[in-house]
Amino acid sequence: VTGRAVIGDFLDAARGQLGSAAHLRLAAGRGGDLREISHSLLRVVTVMNRYVQDFSAVPRQVPSREPLELATWERASLEARNALTTAAVLLRGDGTSGRSPDMDAGSELARRLDAAWLSLAAGRDLLHTHLTRALSGIVEPRSEWGPVITSRPATRALLAELALLAHQIAPVGASLALPPRTHGTPDARRRLTAACEWLHMLDTSIRTAHQDEPVSVADRELLHAIPVNWLQPRRLPEGTEPVEGLCGGVITAAERARHAAWASASVTGRSPAMSVSSLRQAAAASTLTSHHCEILLRSLSTRTARDGPAELSAGLLVAAEAARGASRSWLSVAHALDDVTTDTQGLSRAATAARDLALWTGRLAYADPHWTLASGPSHEARPPQTLAPQPDDVPGVVAAVHYACDAMTGFAHAGREQVRAGAGVDRILVAAENPPDIWDIPMPYVRAPRERIDAILALYQFTSTASADAAASAADAATVVKATSSVLATARSATDAGRQGGERLASTGSDPSAAGKAREEPGPVGRILHGLGVTSPDLLRRGADIDRVGKQLIIEATAENEPWGRQANPATLGRSIGTAVSDSHARKSGDRRTTLLEGDRVWLLREPPEAEA
Amino acid sequence: MTFISAGDRLEQAVGLAAVLGAAYEAFEGMRWEFRAREDPATRWFAGFVMAAAAAADGRDAVAFAPSMPARPRRGAAESGPGLPARESAERAAGEAAELSRRLAECLTRAAGLASDRGDREACEQACRCAREIFDLLGGAAL
Repeated sequence: VTGRAVIGDFLDAARGQLGSAAHLRLAAGRGGDLREISHSLLRVVTVMNRYVQDFSAVPRQVPSREPLELATWERASLEARNALTTAAVLLRGDGTSGRSPDMDAGSELARRLDAAWLSLAAGRDLLHTHLTRALSGIVEPRSEWGPVITSRPATRALLAELALLAHQIAPVGASLALPPRTHGTPDARRRLTAACEWLHMLDTSIRTAHQDEPVSVADRELLHAIPVNWLQPRRLPEGTEPVEGLCGGVITAAERARHAAWASASVTGRSPAMSVSSLRQAAAASTLTSHHCEILLRSLSTRTARDGPAELSAGLLVAAEAARGASRSWLSVAHALDDVTTDTQGLSRAATAARDLALWTGRLAYADPHWTLASGPSHEARPPQTLAPQPDDVPGVVAAVHYACDAMTGFAHAGREQVRAGAGVDRILVAAENPPDIWDIPMPYVRAPRERIDAILALYQFTSTASADAAASAADAATVVKATSSVLATARSATDAGRQGGERLASTGSDPSAAGKAREEPGPVGRILHGLGVTSPDLLRRGADIDRVGKQLIIEATAENEPWGRQANPATLGRSIGTAVSDSHARKSGDRRTTLLEGDRVWLLREPPEAEA
Repeated sequence: MTFISAGDRLEQAVGLAAVLGAAYEAFEGMRWEFRAREDPATRWFAGFVMAAAAAADGRDAVAFAPSMPARPRRGAAESGPGLPARESAERAAGEAAELSRRLAECLTRAAGLASDRGDREACEQACRCAREIFDLLGGAAL
């Protein structure tokens, strides 16, 4: 839809490159050098482990030997991590000789594994374009997709994808047990087989979690739809685009608007980018975009009433009404912003993006191919029969409208955050009602009263709800016509759930308390600052950062001094936090699989029981 | 105050402070007019919605100019609706376009005369807003 590479491309490619289990067995039967195959498998296992470490919701280490209570998928994530770590240690063996990435493998099996590794590594890079790591070790989003990547639906879907890969690869171990054409030491063969057993355990663990709390098709589609964090350059309509091209233009403009809105929501109140001028432009443009969406949805409703399902036409009408409500709500925001100002007037990227989206949606909504915001009275709505001549044309237009409505929701949230931030530093001003009699004061502006700010914030909140209603109604229509935009609703739902539930961003640090800032208890520095009566958000945030870094340092130091914390080889890997968790769970659940994991104390010293046979 | 009288006041303004004061009233008058005429059912909806935002920006730009004269009070008393509601949207748009054209000219001249950097930047910013209003509604004046 957006022309951007998506993670699904790489996951599908990796599975395709591995081939079916039959292909892999065949490739394994053709033999090869075991060290080479081990090295290729190690690459795959390592990148799979990095996926789990980077994007799953379980801390790497816990600063206590107390067993943890973990939810189904968190436990599966932890077990997957343990399985992959152990497999990697086994494959590394006594030091498998590395092979230059540009050197082709000799065996077909190793070549297949290498190709899959490259795809997986590229996919991981793609996900990382949306995230960045702060000095404190906390992973923070760099785009509106960042919170989606670390949301529960996406991380579960990712684990399920890894299970599919493990399921494909695991039988290779048995296939390599005694083929006549493989060559390598018995120890190398034994380690390779054991590593595959651990992949099998990973598969089993995640499948069990999937049985308890299934990953939905929508979750998987959401994961697959995560695009690279790269936006197409700004483009304005030329006047020659057909409807299909206009739909593409609307989607591109909406993607840019969505990103700009997300970025603007986090600007500080003191930033010059925070200006009432920008907010006014965004509100005015959003009024028009919502209005255009209403026109389009009404037109689609008329169009589908002719030869589409009745519920679709009715649903589109409901969506049109919702878009109308959003437009009115945006207009009320625009009016409220007339009476306040800021000391800077520049226009933000978000304002420009909002205006572009209004132009693109207007071009789609009106018959005049040269329609602009400045067009006078000579424009008519595009007739339904030219908007979507064939039934197959309907999904594309629905997708465009859905993207536009979704972007409006982002603008409402961003506007509210900016007003809140600006008010927090007294940058939202109003004209003094009774200016002093000293007439040489050039700027009779004063800080906006609290009730004025609250009124504007309330209007933004109403508008956010109205825009979300319009987007949800458009999403319903998108689902009915199987428009490609339906993933937007899943993404919005995933991030909203994360926001409301205080869901953590994945932390790659070792400090589990860094998981969610919102529910974090203050550390020693934070407590002292609170005791001093400090309320400055900036100071409190810096104090929390110091606490987090300090705690992480203590954890790492503790881990280094623990004999069970070293991971140099399987014999010294020892009892990890994963074992503690598994022990706890096994004692409580008593299920067969966790009972097997009860043997972690053993396998960490020796090797999995199955591998010894 | 009508758009025509606002334009006349602009033409008669002598000195930077007077121009800024007249510009302020003109922008505010247009903003009132546009807001009063925002009706999704009319074909001028887009133009008026966007022009109202530009008028508010222009008003604020001149308000922050160091040479902006003090004013008794902002609001409808001085700069209320310019045209009776029965007048057509086309006529209102046309008169607003003409006023914004004159505003842009006056503000350009004022920017050239301003010795203070703050005044110059305020005039230039307000001039951009006036031009935008003309661009948005200019079709009605042609």
